[in-house]
Amino acid sequence: MNTKQNDRNPVSSSVSRKRVSRGLIYHAISWAILILFILPLVWMVSASLRQPGLAPPRIIEWIPNPIAWGNYARLFDLLPVGRYALNSLIVSSLAVPLTLLTASWAGFAMAQLSARGRERLMTFSLVVLMIPVTAVWLTRYVLFAWLGWVNSYLALLAPGIMGSSPLFILLFYWAFRRIPAELYEAARLEGAGAFVIWWRVALPLAGATLVAVGLLAFILYWSDFITPLLYLKSQSLYTLPVGLRQLQEMDRTNWPLLMAGSVVMTTPVIVLFLIVQRYFLQESRLAGIYGQ
Amino acid sequence: MIKRVRALPYRTELGLMLVPYLLGVAGLIGLPALLSVGMAFVFYDALSPPTWAGLANFREILTDPTDPLFKIALANSLYFVALAVPLRTLGALGLALWLNRQRRGVGLYRAAVYLPTVIPDVAYALIWLWIFNPLYGPVNLTLNALNLPTPGWLADGDTAKLVFVIMALFQIGEGFVVLLAGLQNIPPEYYASAAVDGANRWQILRHLTLPLLAPWLLLLTVRDVILSFQTTFTANFIMTGGGPYYATLFLPMEIYNEAFDAFRFGPGAAMMLLMFALTAALIGVMFSFLNDWREADEH
Repeated sequence: MNTKQNDRNPVSSSVSRKRVSRGLIYHAISWAILILFILPLVWMVSASLRQPGLAPPRIIEWIPNPIAWGNYARLFDLLPVGRYALNSLIVSSLAVPLTLLTASWAGFAMAQLSARGRERLMTFSLVVLMIPVTAVWLTRYVLFAWLGWVNSYLALLAPGIMGSSPLFILLFYWAFRRIPAELYEAARLEGAGAFVIWWRVALPLAGATLVAVGLLAFILYWSDFITPLLYLKSQSLYTLPVGLRQLQEMDRTNWPLLMAGSVVMTTPVIVLFLIVQRYFLQESRLAGIYGQ
Repeated sequence: MIKRVRALPYRTELGLMLVPYLLGVAGLIGLPALLSVGMAFVFYDALSPPTWAGLANFREILTDPTDPLFKIALANSLYFVALAVPLRTLGALGLALWLNRQRRGVGLYRAAVYLPTVIPDVAYALIWLWIFNPLYGPVNLTLNALNLPTPGWLADGDTAKLVFVIMALFQIGEGFVVLLAGLQNIPPEYYASAAVDGANRWQILRHLTLPLLAPWLLLLTVRDVILSFQTTFTANFIMTGGGPYYATLFLPMEIYNEAFDAFRFGPGAAMMLLMFALTAALIGVMFSFLNDWREADEH
């Protein structure tokens, strides 16, 4: 922004004024976009603080009157929400280390393979990335039922074996490729094997990716609804998403309570996202992650 | 003399590191996918052993006049894909172009655009159920304040599907990020030389940016077609369960009802196969259109 400098020069002052107004238009439109996209969240929070049982308002109540903080306490009275949150936390904190291990192994091996092997695995991963859970849920269920994994966390954690998502493997692959090859070479000359190099050389230099994949994996397992819906039968095992569904079945019209439940579920995810967003929305890193 | 003995050659160790990934994909995706094909041709209820059905499952879901639900769900899903995919792709493209340049505050704007994408599905569905609530929801309150008609949204068969399309338009963070990356992969020199040639903004977009983005747009559209057939499930399950009068019964919901509710795995698997065939056909059509367009462009 060198508008100040330009102002000293009378010839270019109209140019700079034009630039300033252009900047204003840019930011005005961008703010409109920003507001549009956070509006659903704002409405969720606002509705969660409304007194239950009130008649519909005539205009939008941005800040409810009175503010009913009690909705959140009521939530914990009605259902063992604390237990569900703990269950979700257990599942996620088992799944995240497993994911980090298998995804970083696969990513490391991929980065160390020959060009042809790399290309094949890349195509393979992109194809797998396109297959959604619901594409194989029927027969996966039948398979897990044979294994006796119904009503157990094993069914929820199983995707961790394959690194949870091929995207995570690709993220590690790209991170390990960015590390100068000489470092790997030097370690190999000293007689280190692949597992040692992965642990001593590759992982310490890929800290940002480790954090990003860890948080993304946490969000994935924390939010998962379909798998616990299909596999968890006993209430003591329920995770938060299934608990929220249970709350909805108890009273479909108690919006303040349903929104309070949604806030409880969404807040950790938003916080983690705000921590991790720099990593994958930042200019210099974008090309590195998705490029090549 | 001490000789270091390495337990395994390097390449074997690399192979071992790939084992969980490859084995996991084979067991969790490959095997179930193969089993689905087999299951479409048997009667199976998860209790008694499967018995051969031939084409009976397909005949039942396609031609049985007493059970038109598969055809209804198919039409609904096609409607959803036809509206949501182009709008989502255009939305992601527009936002990526708008927020591409490094300016003050751009990180904040990008984060805001991505934010709805990370909201857990169940919470996301409940939020939109609230937003489009006919009496309490902010949308109808706003319309009411503006003296505009207030539709019943999810309670009304004519507007219910639209709600699903609208809520899908807010979760475009992935496409947005992919296109941003695509834009940043374009060498700045291209733009510099276009500016030297005196090209205006529209010309740069039409003849430089869009052609270079084409592979990314294609990847994104293919992915979105596949996902749009599948990802409606949680929202569908939480918000309408398929109603009113099956107006929002999308394919995954119907498959869920058939398999996990009625324990009719055979017809469920048959539906799944047909859904795959349709997805593949749609992608094929997309590619052939693209080839025609390319050839026309060359002449």
